[in-house]
Amino acid sequence: MLAYFIRRVFYLVPVLLVLTMVVFTFVEMLPGNIIDTLVGTEGVNDPEVRKILEKEYGLDQPVYVRYVKWLGRAVQFDFGKSLVTRRPVAVELLQGIPATMYLAIVGISLSMLIAVPLGTIAAVKRNTPIDYAAQVTSLIGISIPEFWFAILCVLFFALYLGWLPSSGFVSPFVDFWGSLKFLILPAAAIGFRQAAYTTRLTRSSMLDEMNKEYVDTARSLGLAERKVIFKYTLRNAMIPTITISGLQLANLLGGTVVLETIFAWPGIGRAIYEAIIQRDYPLIQAGVLVLGVIVVSMNLLVDMTYRLLNPRVKFA
Amino acid sequence: MTGENKKGSEQSRREFLRTTTALAGAAMVGLPAHEAAAGKKHPKRGGTIRFGMRDDSVGLDTHRNFIYYVSQPMAGLTGGLLDFNEKMEPVAAVAKEWDASADLKTWTFKLKSGVEYHNGETIDAESVKWNIERILDPKIGHSFNRSALTDVERVTVDDKLTVRFHLREPNAAFDTNVIYYPVNLIAPGSADKADTHPVSCGPFKFKSWKRFDTCELVRFENFYETDSEGNSLPYLDGMIGKPKKEDRVRLTALRTNEVDLIDNMAYADAPNFEKEHGKSFNTWKVSQLGTAFIAFNLKNGPFSAKDNPDAHMLRMAAAHAIDHEGIHEVVFNKQGHIAKGFYGEASPWHGKDITPWPAFDPDKAKALRKKAKGGDAKLLIIANDSFPYMQQSGELAHAMLKDAGFDVTFEIHPTPVVQDKYNKGTFDIDSSANSYRIDPDGWFSRSILSTAPETIRRHGYKNEQVDKLILAAKVEKDKAKRRQMYADVDTLVNKDLPLIYTYFIPGLQAGTKRIQGYKPAFTGPFNYAGGGLRTAWIE
Repeated sequence: MLAYFIRRVFYLVPVLLVLTMVVFTFVEMLPGNIIDTLVGTEGVNDPEVRKILEKEYGLDQPVYVRYVKWLGRAVQFDFGKSLVTRRPVAVELLQGIPATMYLAIVGISLSMLIAVPLGTIAAVKRNTPIDYAAQVTSLIGISIPEFWFAILCVLFFALYLGWLPSSGFVSPFVDFWGSLKFLILPAAAIGFRQAAYTTRLTRSSMLDEMNKEYVDTARSLGLAERKVIFKYTLRNAMIPTITISGLQLANLLGGTVVLETIFAWPGIGRAIYEAIIQRDYPLIQAGVLVLGVIVVSMNLLVDMTYRLLNPRVKFA
Repeated sequence: MTGENKKGSEQSRREFLRTTTALAGAAMVGLPAHEAAAGKKHPKRGGTIRFGMRDDSVGLDTHRNFIYYVSQPMAGLTGGLLDFNEKMEPVAAVAKEWDASADLKTWTFKLKSGVEYHNGETIDAESVKWNIERILDPKIGHSFNRSALTDVERVTVDDKLTVRFHLREPNAAFDTNVIYYPVNLIAPGSADKADTHPVSCGPFKFKSWKRFDTCELVRFENFYETDSEGNSLPYLDGMIGKPKKEDRVRLTALRTNEVDLIDNMAYADAPNFEKEHGKSFNTWKVSQLGTAFIAFNLKNGPFSAKDNPDAHMLRMAAAHAIDHEGIHEVVFNKQGHIAKGFYGEASPWHGKDITPWPAFDPDKAKALRKKAKGGDAKLLIIANDSFPYMQQSGELAHAMLKDAGFDVTFEIHPTPVVQDKYNKGTFDIDSSANSYRIDPDGWFSRSILSTAPETIRRHGYKNEQVDKLILAAKVEKDKAKRRQMYADVDTLVNKDLPLIYTYFIPGLQAGTKRIQGYKPAFTGPFNYAGGGLRTAWIE
């Protein structure tokens, strides 16, 4: 298992390298550049000033030189300074990533807490009112756009009931209980929608597993139905659920710009979005690299989890 | 010229009359005098206001970044040589008086004695010089901040409290260019920390900042301004800026008591807000955040005389197709006013006798388009994605031009793409806007004068008569004459049609009833002499 893990980590290197090259190329191909942003629509905009700024920001060098220089620093975890805010890129990222991780992890956990029991019960009680209710609820969850559900939550819980704040963020390290108040609505907006997908997936996986011979064997050996379902069937059925939830989590860590805007949540999504708009190259590069690392790490983690869920899974 | 702000004395006279009238009334009905006088609300020291704002600054260095004085919390900490008052006229701030030489090429500013930066450094002439030179450094100063100082050749120090600006060209309105927006002062001793802990000289000083989340400012105890009774301003202990980009998110935050004050209410919400929530909230109208317009690309393409002999006729056709009333209703929900020039009625620079652009006449638009060469050309309208009204005005112009038979498409782009299109001239019509300019020279010399870099880059308008008027107005000392000259320029612009003014962008701020003594200036800023958050308090 350790050898497999090390091999997988080793494979990440070319993946991330290609990712940085692709991002660098795409950003370079975008119309407009940071100098346009810095000289602005106002005032002085002459070629002399552009030249001075290009030199100041190192943009007078060919793109491959800039890439190699950037890569050389990045492997030493030096991502340079934001061209726009002038603060270290690491600081910019570290301001947004914890908030996004906090929201994404709680949101996904919430979705799992809803989806796994609901999907399991729906499968076990197939074609009963409970199953129908679970299916209709998940269908509604999938059909409602996330932003709309978020706005409804704000209107109902913040404006009409006044139970929760409508927007904002408090770090759990500053005030844990206070931070929960701000977390509930955005996490619920994420959690319920993700739960809709996961419920359906859990249900169908459970149905597949329940039709397999080992379940009949377990039952014929006289095992309690509860034990058959929860110890054997659900454990196997969780593999696709874990896979999808892991990908959902990676996707959410990539930023939820719309939800961050609705809830004024200072996450990484908006920071990277603004960086792209302003052509803040170092921040875009580092942001995408960090998110890339998170996504591939999540995939690796998911793959490793298979083994825990099903010992028959072999690491090749 | 002196910068004595008369507002304070006027206020105290009004307050005196109000108080004495109350006392006289009390005497007549037999009430104790102090109870009658208690009807007048007296400012209270203390309290922190939570301000939900549309925008946040990009960075903290107030020279390197553009700090928009309407909707960025950081505007609360900036201060400068001069301030502006409620009418957006220059008044004393760090400088107590100022004067121009007869040729308008040298401006001398005498500083108040004992005025400090937030870190206790004394503001003297040397530090002002250092600030100006730092802003003028293209590696540091933001283009908008620098553009206010393009006329400056050098700055000299006469004595500790006298600083002199030597200009390349005469300028009758140079004083408006050294108002804190955008030429703000920072403490020289804090320059190395300007990106992380800015030190300026405005009414509030920096405490903390987390971009797009919170900007915490606290009262500057040694701020130079006092109220009419000599109490130091501001009254508040601090302000917490809460940037919330979406208009509805800010409004909900106000209604759920998460913020005390918001700027830029959505135009869809503004008309009914006062009626529905007037009991719980105060509202303040902002009549002109800026001026919206639709500009043509005169550098190349069918609207350019270089490429099309009928370019002007085609622009006339387009102008006749634009229904200003439609924009008034659809985009701004009947808030605010249609623009015939750059300055609205609330502005001291409003020109009364401007001949407007061609009236809405779809039939004439169709006829002219058919007649003009290039009337069937494929056109592209662009709009910046930063402000909804630019996009919506662009969408509407798109529909109106299509109705008139133009073959037109519409694209919305982020700023770098829009600027790339300006640079390359790959657009035909631009739905855009400019924020209010304290002096008309700030608009006309930068965006209409044919030699201005911005004019060359964006639309390429050229009219000798217009240029002469703008340059003459720049050296005219008589304000009434200058106003008329700029009105004449707007008349010519409306005739030549490099752009069509469409709207004075309105705004609505709202806050809890607990906020007293607050009113934004008519163009929206909350930090100005004798008003805004400087005179606000919480009941």
